[in-house]
Amino acid sequence: MTFKLATRLLCAAAMSIVLAGGAQAEDKVVKIGVILPMSGSTASIGAHAKAALEVATDIINNAHPELDKLPLAKNAGLAGLGGAKVEIVIADNQGSPATGQNQALRLITEEKVVAILGAYQSGITLTSSAIAEKYGIPYLTPESVAANLTERGFKWFFRTTPIAPDFVRIYDEFLTDMKAAGAKTDTIALVHDNTEYGASVANTIATGFKAKGRTGVIDVAYAVNATDVQAQVLQLKEKKPDVVLMISYTSDAILFAKTMQSLDYKPPMLLADDAGYSDPSFIKAVGKLSQGVFNRSSWAVGPAGSPSAVIADMYKKKSGEEMEDTVGREMQGFFVLVDAIDRAGSTDPAKIQAALKATDIKPEQLIMGYKGVKFDEKGQNVLASAYIIQLQDGENYVSVWPKGNAEKAPVMSYKGW
Amino acid sequence: MSFVLVQVIVGGLLLGAVYALFSSGLTLVWGMMNIVNFAHGDFVMLGMYVAYVVYTLMGGGPIVGAPLAVLVLATLGVVVYFGLIRDIMKGPMLAQILGTFGLALLLRYSVFWWFGADFKSLPQNIVGGTYAVAGLRLEASRLLAGVVALLVTLGLHLLLTRTSLGSKMLAVAEDATAAQLMGIRPDTMQAIAWAIAAGATGLAGALIANFFYIVPTVGETLGIVAFVTVSLGGFGSVPGALVAGLLIGVIESLSGYLIGAVYKDIVVYILFLFFLWFRPQGLMGKM
Amino acid sequence: MRRLLWLSVLAAVAIAYPLLLSSPFQQRLGALVLLYAIAASAWNIVGGYAGQVSVGHVVFFGCGAYAAMGAYAKFELSPLFGIPGGIVIAVVLAAVIGVPTLRLSGHYFSMATIAVAETMRLIVTNTDYLGAAVGLSGPTVARNIFDLSFISSLPYYYLFLLVLAITLVITWWMANSRMGFYLRAIKDSERAARSLGAPARRTKLYAFMLSAALTSVAGALYAMMFGFVDPESGLGILISVKILIMAALGGAGLLFGPLVGAAILVPLEEISNSVLGGKGAGLTFVVYGAIIVLIARFQPGGILSLFKRRSKPASEAGAPHAP
Repeated sequence: MTFKLATRLLCAAAMSIVLAGGAQAEDKVVKIGVILPMSGSTASIGAHAKAALEVATDIINNAHPELDKLPLAKNAGLAGLGGAKVEIVIADNQGSPATGQNQALRLITEEKVVAILGAYQSGITLTSSAIAEKYGIPYLTPESVAANLTERGFKWFFRTTPIAPDFVRIYDEFLTDMKAAGAKTDTIALVHDNTEYGASVANTIATGFKAKGRTGVIDVAYAVNATDVQAQVLQLKEKKPDVVLMISYTSDAILFAKTMQSLDYKPPMLLADDAGYSDPSFIKAVGKLSQGVFNRSSWAVGPAGSPSAVIADMYKKKSGEEMEDTVGREMQGFFVLVDAIDRAGSTDPAKIQAALKATDIKPEQLIMGYKGVKFDEKGQNVLASAYIIQLQDGENYVSVWPKGNAEKAPVMSYKGW
Repeated sequence: MSFVLVQVIVGGLLLGAVYALFSSGLTLVWGMMNIVNFAHGDFVMLGMYVAYVVYTLMGGGPIVGAPLAVLVLATLGVVVYFGLIRDIMKGPMLAQILGTFGLALLLRYSVFWWFGADFKSLPQNIVGGTYAVAGLRLEASRLLAGVVALLVTLGLHLLLTRTSLGSKMLAVAEDATAAQLMGIRPDTMQAIAWAIAAGATGLAGALIANFFYIVPTVGETLGIVAFVTVSLGGFGSVPGALVAGLLIGVIESLSGYLIGAVYKDIVVYILFLFFLWFRPQGLMGKM
Repeated sequence: MRRLLWLSVLAAVAIAYPLLLSSPFQQRLGALVLLYAIAASAWNIVGGYAGQVSVGHVVFFGCGAYAAMGAYAKFELSPLFGIPGGIVIAVVLAAVIGVPTLRLSGHYFSMATIAVAETMRLIVTNTDYLGAAVGLSGPTVARNIFDLSFISSLPYYYLFLLVLAITLVITWWMANSRMGFYLRAIKDSERAARSLGAPARRTKLYAFMLSAALTSVAGALYAMMFGFVDPESGLGILISVKILIMAALGGAGLLFGPLVGAAILVPLEEISNSVLGGKGAGLTFVVYGAIIVLIARFQPGGILSLFKRRSKPASEAGAPHAP
């Protein structure tokens, strides 16, 4: 009986794949594949990114004159392709590099997508982009920061997000400014997990800081998804660093905030490297215990009526969450990719690739705080950048640095709870 | 001994008590029925979500959440026993792994489907802040979990050794056929054991929710700790699980502080393997 | 005679499959089925025939995967050169792990193998030489055919089919040799087997080592196909469980059990993910979990035991024995 059920399910599933495959013959629809973690422990990011991409698709496919500074927003559809509409096909990578690669193959060969956006986790971006490279399909990652991704000599691979060397520059400049304003920044504790993200970012920051003459770096590593972090907080309490830099995913970020409160530890300055600290669930869970935390973000809401404020509104209506850096970078990467398709005026992969290479987007055309988008020969955006934001009231981040973009002045001492 | 080290050890003991708390249910069914429950971590997760729902819907703390979690999970335990366990128990050990792993996915992703993947959390201090005793910081929610762990261990131990229900359950565990000949119904006894085990696990989840984060995949993180605790303590030994839990908690805390947190799990696993070499039946298990 | 007929039909279907269903995704699905069938068949030797339920087989899988990627990443060799190295490491490791752990019975053995696997994963995660958490990647653009980096899944498919055939022949030969006889005796009752003069501990160890060697090959092939290995995908406990579940679902201790299990679970997983995964509601795993539960509930001996029971007297049908 169960076997019959399984067979039936398989047949039904197989049929729907065939049907979905047949539907692509319709013209005037440009399909873009998106690979995201939709299940497993990072699934909340996938869910938020999905909502953001749906908002972005709406902006592109329908007329939005209020956003006329952004490419593609003003008119309905892609002008370069005779008003063609964009459709996203989302695939779940299940947190596995193997599944990510299988899904990339399916998106390319079954769904006939013209380009792929993905895949959040760097390891999965690595395997899934290898398939795109073999098939000659443009692949853009808006999120993955691992250094080796752009070192493979790929011709079809592009990355819009800032990466670890950019973080070093941003933190160094920020800390220099804070020091000038009176904060102590001599000893810096790097608290990070042992995942590919945590370990490699911490490593780059430690070496980068050393090169810039910052010698007082303390390394505090822990295993990801920890059941307990009391020992680490006590270590920090004992070593008394001037700045604690947190490189953590949401689960551990929440646990650290709770444990710091229960052990009554407040560092003079708490600085977070995006990731968990940008997650809206972090703010809902422990925002009130983390008042005054600084965070890296390329996203800032901006004044009312600005494109970013309009988009933040649309996103909130769609998902019920506040817009934040991670989904913002996802959305920005998508806009860059679709803009290239529009400029290519064709769905021919080679033309899209050429258009991506010729990308030169100005800061005012962006929703994120990059200084523009321009790819080097390796496919890395050389103008990627970020702000520093602060959770002053425990509910909403405000941008506080650099000065030119600041909504409020930074509050120096960490308040906590 | 430095003062910080005392705080590390006390923190480790409180953590260990929590490990013991969510392992006691597992050791009960594992010992009594020789069944591997791969869904155990997800039972803890369900207990946490019961506490979360109680808080968001009624604003209730653990006084309401914990008993409700016991009730909900005990019911689920009985349902799972009659719907799945009773049949796969008769099969090979592999069928148990297969069935309970499938159950784990089913529970985890049903919760995922209903609540989404976002991290949830109960307000800090829902139980009542942090005490400073002679400079030591003791969090009320962890103390509560620790005290309940001791009570549950004691209660289960007394139940098994001092009551007629306990002796009946043990008789079934020893030899179901013989027990049946003496007029004990194995089905009933085993269903009761599942209700108690699942109830205790739900209680653990509801109490952990007070100081941990809540997410559908949290069972993965906690499940494997429970496995190690139970095998170290000896399958079926409730006091063994308590001792093993405390031991693991202190070892993790100390090695996390002295050697580095990325190595603390390695230390626990290697000690566990060494231990198995000398005492394959666990700390307090019988041969 | 009838068996031979079935066997040739199976072989013909296996050879013809990628030619009949020629879309790249279907071909890849076929290759994945064979790949998991190799790993599950290798596990079957110790987990099915000898009845020692190892939940740590991913250690050997990881040996192969890391050896193959290491050969490329560290020495610029073809990943193929990593296979013998991976086998040697896996066999030595199996001996080192097996001697102490195979003394343990039942759940304690399973728990010990879990602990070994997790220890290995954590050690590799913190070892920079092996790429730590970042992992090792294979050749991104094939330098020559020996890099085994193809666009089409066809070469992988037939390579995996060949390795699977070899694995099954070895398993069949083992099952019908003196060793297989000993293993079955040990599975039924180790004490009885020993009192009848079977060298229980040594036989189990040999089975464990053989199983480790073949699992390592599966790991190497896996890493070559995906061009990447990291601690989670090469040493994560979930891979162990997946391998075990495929064997158990098809029928552990039966020659074709793992293949049947893989042929059901791999397409189920990939297709349900393709259809439901993008919605992000977790429905993929609700369906997947429910089907596993139903099979365990109604067919605890695995799918193949259904057919076995019909053709053989019930007493021989791998009758579930009391734990």
